[in-house]
Amino acid sequence: MKEYLTLCLPLRREMMTTARLATGGVCAVAGMSYDGGEDCKVCVTESLLLLMRRGFSAASVQFTDCERGICVRVRGTDGSASVALSDEDEIALALLNALAESVTMQEAEGCISFVFGSQE
Amino acid sequence: MNEEELFRKYRETGDVTLRNQIVEKYLYIASVLAKKFVGRGVDYDDLYQVASLALIRGVDRFDERKGLKFSTFITPTITGEIKNYFRDRSRLVHLPRKVSELRVGIKRASEEFLAEQGRKPTAAELAGKLGVTEEEVLRCSDAGGVVSLDTPVDREGDSMSLHDILPADSDVFEDIEDRDALDSALRTLEPEERSLVHYRFVQELSQMETAKKMGISQMNVSRMERRILQKLREILKKSMVG
Repeated sequence: MKEYLTLCLPLRREMMTTARLATGGVCAVAGMSYDGGEDCKVCVTESLLLLMRRGFSAASVQFTDCERGICVRVRGTDGSASVALSDEDEIALALLNALAESVTMQEAEGCISFVFGSQE
Repeated sequence: MNEEELFRKYRETGDVTLRNQIVEKYLYIASVLAKKFVGRGVDYDDLYQVASLALIRGVDRFDERKGLKFSTFITPTITGEIKNYFRDRSRLVHLPRKVSELRVGIKRASEEFLAEQGRKPTAAELAGKLGVTEEEVLRCSDAGGVVSLDTPVDREGDSMSLHDILPADSDVFEDIEDRDALDSALRTLEPEERSLVHYRFVQELSQMETAKKMGISQMNVSRMERRILQKLREILKKSMVG
């Protein structure tokens, strides 16, 4: 399993552009299409915002390659999931499920992971 | 009236007023999702319209008895419609001239590379050939790389390739752009050079006939023609990449 990049960042809205740019770069390196990369950016942003709304103040985003494309693991690293899922969170999760494959969310650990196929 | 009651009543009565009430209640989801796809060449208003229509259709299809929340049901429906819209309409989205020219350049350079090397070029090789960055190539290319014309297209098992189904050289917009670029390039030629181009490529005269018309030797026509074509090639290449 090759690791492309692990990004650690404070969960603030102004950091989302940085996360999106890094995600776009990794997707290009992984050979994903433009639309696939854009979708992946949406998923990473949604995951980070979801963790932020739940009470985390920092997060890591790990990109690794997997059989089907790239696997993205977004984990809250500072704080805890202290707030219940809101309507907005449910839309975010449904959006993740619509755009990515194998979406899992481990509530207690504040960890969201998903897979993006290289042919996306 | 809660969500379940609202949908149950609408399902039982088919009352349009109730449907409108539901649509208005959930219109924010269309707005939220449309915003997620802004920045890909389609205006927010268009995305919002697509999302809203998907919402209206989704209200009719939703069955509250299945125990799913409406927001969970409608989000992938709207997302799917937006993605379909991108897929179906993206070719009609106006691309900046530089981008569309680069797309033409990528297509041609890929074919030349394949003919020369016998394999498909990488994005880096295309970038080198066209004098642009790798990122520009990737952003212009549909699939992050170049799709082989031999890529099989599954059409009821008739093993057709992409080459078989692509219309050959019939892209009207590309033709218009090519003609426009050629016109600009021709305007940079000297009057004598333009005359030669006219005799050779419009009237389709031989080099000898052209020589007679211009009062010069056939050898001079040949040399001049070579020089003109080289000059046009360079001008067109420059206009294509920058």
